[in-house]
Amino acid sequence: MDQQIVTPQQQLSKVVIRVWIIGEIIANFIGLLVLAALFFLDYKFSWPEWAGWIILVVTILSVVGTIWSVFFEPSLKFNSWRYDVNEDFLQLKYGIFIEKHELIPMTKIQSVATNQGPIMRKYGLYSVSITTMASSHKIPALSEKVAIELRSQIAYFAKVKEVE
Amino acid sequence: MGQKKRYHPLNILFDFWRLLKNAFFFVLFLFIINYDSSSAWINYGRIIFCLAVVLTVFSIIYKWFTQKYLLDDVSFHMYKGLFNKSERTIPYTKIHNIQRRQTFIHKLFGLASVVFETSMTDTDASIKFGVISQKELNELEARIHQSGSTNHDVVAYEAVPEAEKEEQVICNRTVHFRPTRKDTIKASFTSLSFLVLIPIIVSVSSEIEDIFDIEDKAKTFLMSNINSWWIISLFIVALVIMSVAFGVVRTFLRYGRYEIASDDKTIFISKGILEESTFTISKDKVQAVEVTQSLIKRMLGLAEVKLISAGSVGESEDETNSLYPFLPVQRAYEMLEEVLPDYEVTQKMYLLPGKSLWVRLLRPSWLWIIATIALFFFRPQVFDVKQAWWIISVFLFLIIYIHRILDFINTRYMLNGGFIQFKTGSLQTTMFVSKRKKVIEVEVSRSRLQKQLGLSTINMVNRSKPVHHTMIKDVPELMADAYRTWYIKRTEDIEIEKTSI
Repeated sequence: MDQQIVTPQQQLSKVVIRVWIIGEIIANFIGLLVLAALFFLDYKFSWPEWAGWIILVVTILSVVGTIWSVFFEPSLKFNSWRYDVNEDFLQLKYGIFIEKHELIPMTKIQSVATNQGPIMRKYGLYSVSITTMASSHKIPALSEKVAIELRSQIAYFAKVKEVE
Repeated sequence: MGQKKRYHPLNILFDFWRLLKNAFFFVLFLFIINYDSSSAWINYGRIIFCLAVVLTVFSIIYKWFTQKYLLDDVSFHMYKGLFNKSERTIPYTKIHNIQRRQTFIHKLFGLASVVFETSMTDTDASIKFGVISQKELNELEARIHQSGSTNHDVVAYEAVPEAEKEEQVICNRTVHFRPTRKDTIKASFTSLSFLVLIPIIVSVSSEIEDIFDIEDKAKTFLMSNINSWWIISLFIVALVIMSVAFGVVRTFLRYGRYEIASDDKTIFISKGILEESTFTISKDKVQAVEVTQSLIKRMLGLAEVKLISAGSVGESEDETNSLYPFLPVQRAYEMLEEVLPDYEVTQKMYLLPGKSLWVRLLRPSWLWIIATIALFFFRPQVFDVKQAWWIISVFLFLIIYIHRILDFINTRYMLNGGFIQFKTGSLQTTMFVSKRKKVIEVEVSRSRLQKQLGLSTINMVNRSKPVHHTMIKDVPELMADAYRTWYIKRTEDIEIEKTSI
């Protein structure tokens, strides 16, 4: 077998790093606001001592989490992502700590869809989700042209069904 | 092509019977236990109950009048509804297994119930006939088998006279296995069904002791003690004999008349004496084969072989897809070859390399960590021992690690042409054999630690209900690469449906 088939090559759209950063900033900001509110309530209604400790621990963890998910995770995640499609298989490879490599036969794909959230729309990105008999998979961000093309390509290849 | 048919009229009777059974506890509670209660809740309950019963009675009758079915040469047609009519068409090729059941009552009237399972996931995944005459069911099954999943000859089928056809179907069958009396006795001990009576024995014997203590108060203390001791041991012996007999009878009723048979396309597994059931699966619909051995079975050299089907196979207790659960291992493999001649099972399998044991030992056990933290904080005292928390923690640690080591020792894998074999498990081992064609998805993953040591985790997914994941942790990277290349070659095995091109 051809080596190229065994390890996928295609990368996500690079703009996605920015989209992820923005998304993480918003999500973490909301999370920190909630924590701030809890601190305020703790102070105002003098909750028991252990409650304050728990909020403090959660805050420290979420600050560390925020730093990780805003500054490090997006580019690492981008670098770890590869996908490829040919007429027989869809291949996905991703994961920062645990690297996963999935092989999905085209004949087992049941549906394919493109999705877009508000931030993604601003940057003209789409995610492609693929449903099989066993599970569902998602390629997180592709530029509009690539995503639409991939969708119709998968739809075309997946039209073939094997005899059970 | 025939006429649209209503279901067998006795369906109504069986549905009523089921309604009666379900209503029993409500009746008991609402009308007997709370006979003279005048509480508003009970009153409301009674009203709701009566309404529900009336509605159910109507719906049972309505269902019978409005639901019809029709079988043509290639598919089922199911009709229902009066105002809102619906028709479902299910091709025979989409049927993954057939489960026929006969309760004692069914048998009295020459009837049967049957479920045709498809691989769909919605509520209408199966076609059920609560009551159907045996004759009609035989015709129906013959029709499905004839149409088969491959090229069928409908014309030829129609031309063969009824009697001859029946004969043919029976003649082609070869019986692979029927348990002997020895097998059944072995099975009843292995399944430990005689243990069911032990709690009863214990409670009964303590009762007896109480009774004797009271009655014998007049006698001397010593005498009464000896007397009751003597009688109790007699009772215990009697009860042990009874419980063993009970276990044997129970096993005999469930597994006594087991029969595994097959013709060139289909496998039939039937069992039961008072309540008979038959599981029918087409050979090319077998998704995988699973060989399970519990600790006791491993010691006695027995194994259970299950055929994995994409359709559901009934509730765990009544699972019908198992070849005899107490087969001698060697016989199990032989039978697998007889029943599924295109399956190749080899005893030669690879072991994991030593370094995967290290990974397994180094991997943190979250269960143990969380349990230990919880134990540290709450420090429960067991039997008044203050140090119980760390003793429990150490025990848990040992149990987890023994399991890991046993799993490492038992794990084996093999890629054998178009077949794959995975064996895992610590106390109970499971071997999973599947064809490349039947594996619907694979995944290879590795953590940072595994990457350092050149190991990977391989995972495959098979159709079943729900889908069946099989995973082996910490195989060498070479194997993981071979596994991926092996799977990519599945394009050589599959046949493409002609209509879709």
